[in-house]
Amino acid sequence: MPYTTIMPAEAKPVAPYKMATRMEGGRLVYIAGQVARDAEGNVLAPGDIRTQTRQVFQNLQQVLQAAGGDVSDLLKMTTYITKIENFPVVSEVRSEFFPGEMPASTLIVVSRLAQPELLIEVEGMAAIG
Amino acid sequence: MDRRDILADNPVEKRRGYMPGVSVQPRRLLFTAGMTGRQPDGSIVAGGMAAQTQRTMERLQAILRHAGADVSQTIKQLLYITDMEAHAVSGRAVRAAFYGENRPTSTALGVQRLADPAMLIEIELVVDLHDSPVGKPLLEKYNTENHGLDFHQGVIVNGGRLIYVAGQVANTPDGSVAGVGDWRRQAEQVYTNIGHVLRAAGATPAQAVKETTWVLEIDAWRQHGTAVRRAFYQGDYPASTLVEIPGLARPEFLLEIEVIAAVA
Repeated sequence: MPYTTIMPAEAKPVAPYKMATRMEGGRLVYIAGQVARDAEGNVLAPGDIRTQTRQVFQNLQQVLQAAGGDVSDLLKMTTYITKIENFPVVSEVRSEFFPGEMPASTLIVVSRLAQPELLIEVEGMAAIG
Repeated sequence: MDRRDILADNPVEKRRGYMPGVSVQPRRLLFTAGMTGRQPDGSIVAGGMAAQTQRTMERLQAILRHAGADVSQTIKQLLYITDMEAHAVSGRAVRAAFYGENRPTSTALGVQRLADPAMLIEIELVVDLHDSPVGKPLLEKYNTENHGLDFHQGVIVNGGRLIYVAGQVANTPDGSVAGVGDWRRQAEQVYTNIGHVLRAAGATPAQAVKETTWVLEIDAWRQHGTAVRRAFYQGDYPASTLVEIPGLARPEFLLEIEVIAAVA
């Protein structure tokens, strides 16, 4: 892994994510915010946070694989959701994609995403190489 | 320059105005502050979304030019938009004209308000610089305008190791939330946590490159948080973005701050 996990004793995360990561080598990969859209650009499963979350993390995985890596190479990810009530399901589905510890992570509730039917968007950076 | 565009095998991405992924060797990178349609006199340019987007992109261009770069070298853009419909109608095309055939990775967020209530859009960029970092200081922080505010408009990282810090909230070591309902106490706890994380990663506050501050109320943040932030950075500010959003992971949290830093 071309990064170091930073876990200070004085500031611990409240969930299984890394407090910070320090890139030590490899290529820096920026991944666009991933959303649940089909090949025609239509929003998949409007109103269905579980399906949208699964699709978003599958997309993220696909981009990482196309870059020669996987989710364990993520330095940081940011999860944007439109309703805090959806967070428990997001958290549950997301954890299926991270058998180990998650990368450094931020969760933000935004007013809306690019299309009003989108409930979740996830972006990230990775070190691969 | 060895940028690689990453197109996952997903047809939906091919028609969009952005790249699903971009990778680079991080030899020399520029992080910009979130920029807006502000004019030299401090007011926001008249003419709505199209005019603000135009002005924002021109100001970003000036920041990039200072670093010897142009917009085509952008690897990531983050858009904070208070009116997503207006952006789709009149902002997107203005922005696209600056990129030409080039596509960065992108994230577009609908937010409640920006630093000034008249702002409709704010854009920040990460840019891959092509020249050599050799012989340059780790960080080059600069402004292209005399704004007199507590941030730098551009920060160049010359060949260091990047540190990505998780969004920091007012959690205390025992897992409780500090200062429920108390902006100042939460700001202090957040910066205490950021300080611990940076130190553990070998960095100082002066080595912060980019900061994003997410708050539930910009006015309350300004009133109670600014002094705490000043004490933390002591004049040596990163590039930064301030955004008002409707919620965070727990209802007690009033703010969340994330930082990108670098060490040699």
